[in-house]
Amino acid sequence: MASHATTEHTLAPGEIAKPNTGWIWKTFFVLVGITAIEFVFVFLMHPSTLRNSIFIVLTIFKAFFIVAEFMHLKHETKGLIWTILIPLALLVWLLVALITEGSFIGEVLQNMFK
Amino acid sequence: MAHSTTLQSSAAAATHDAPRTGNWDGGNEPFKASYGKLMMWFFLLSDAFTFAAFLTTYGMIRHKHEVFTGEAKDFFFSTRWWPIPDHVFNAFPGMGEANVPLGFVALMTMILILSSVTMVLAVEAGHRMDKKDVQKWLLWTILFGSTFLLSQAWEWTHFIHGHAEPTIMADGTKLYGANLHMNQYGPVLFADLFFFITGFHGTHVFSGVCLLVWCFIATTNGTFEKRGHYEMIEKIGLYWHFVDLVWVFVFTFFYLV
Repeated sequence: MASHATTEHTLAPGEIAKPNTGWIWKTFFVLVGITAIEFVFVFLMHPSTLRNSIFIVLTIFKAFFIVAEFMHLKHETKGLIWTILIPLALLVWLLVALITEGSFIGEVLQNMFK
Repeated sequence: MAHSTTLQSSAAAATHDAPRTGNWDGGNEPFKASYGKLMMWFFLLSDAFTFAAFLTTYGMIRHKHEVFTGEAKDFFFSTRWWPIPDHVFNAFPGMGEANVPLGFVALMTMILILSSVTMVLAVEAGHRMDKKDVQKWLLWTILFGSTFLLSQAWEWTHFIHGHAEPTIMADGTKLYGANLHMNQYGPVLFADLFFFITGFHGTHVFSGVCLLVWCFIATTNGTFEKRGHYEMIEKIGLYWHFVDLVWVFVFTFFYLV
């Protein structure tokens, strides 16, 4: 596993390296920023498919930053990255299939007595 | 392994055992990750499937119900249509009946993202073998995690007891709050899904806090220092970030959309 670069000076026994936390706080501000943008859209835009799509795209951005940076997946081997991502693609299929199915069932039920 | 070869000559035992000394006792390390971390990844993948099943169910059931088509300000609770989330989740602790749409859930989201940050800081301190820093950041993470749980307890209490204004049903019954059989916000399944999805997520946060408390005790006792690495913190960190990740999705699909 590749770790984030630390300063290249040798430590004396018992000495502790200096924290390297810049990238952590950067990721934090990105996450807070995206959440803030989401709230702007909640209050300034009427509910619509477009608004929902914006939310989903922003959510995927947030998920990317959490998984890639905080969970360190970006710095793992390619094999591990694909092992995690490919099965998740199946979930997108499940989601699309069942939401379509839900709309269909709803239509049938709502029109049943018309 | 060694015991079964004691009858053979020591030279044969050596050639037999020599290649089995690698990281995973097979001579190499798949994906250049430790066994524990890889298994944590696979567990999280399976857990992602569970949560995805919950959220997909939510999506399907929501699409099955009617949508309120009028102006948002004219919205009222009815079992006919799915509720608009900012009308359901608009209370804030200590502010009585003030209308703060999604205010509290925004705060909860912040708390959980912050706890994720302090968790990475603990992992980072572990890489540097800095016991004091690991302890400090673990304590912060436990604090934020517990705060999130308490917030959720408050949110559930408010959801169960309901708004000051009841929802009046067709037969004149006044409905307050929610349980698994009926609720004042909308279709029965709305409250059921709220309880199951946020409840399942809350259970994960609770398990995470327990693991973190255990980690803090082990760090304080010097267990990881003696072991020579703080990988346990990394593994539990993976779990903790996953819980944060799930919240990001719950937040979008339950509160925003």
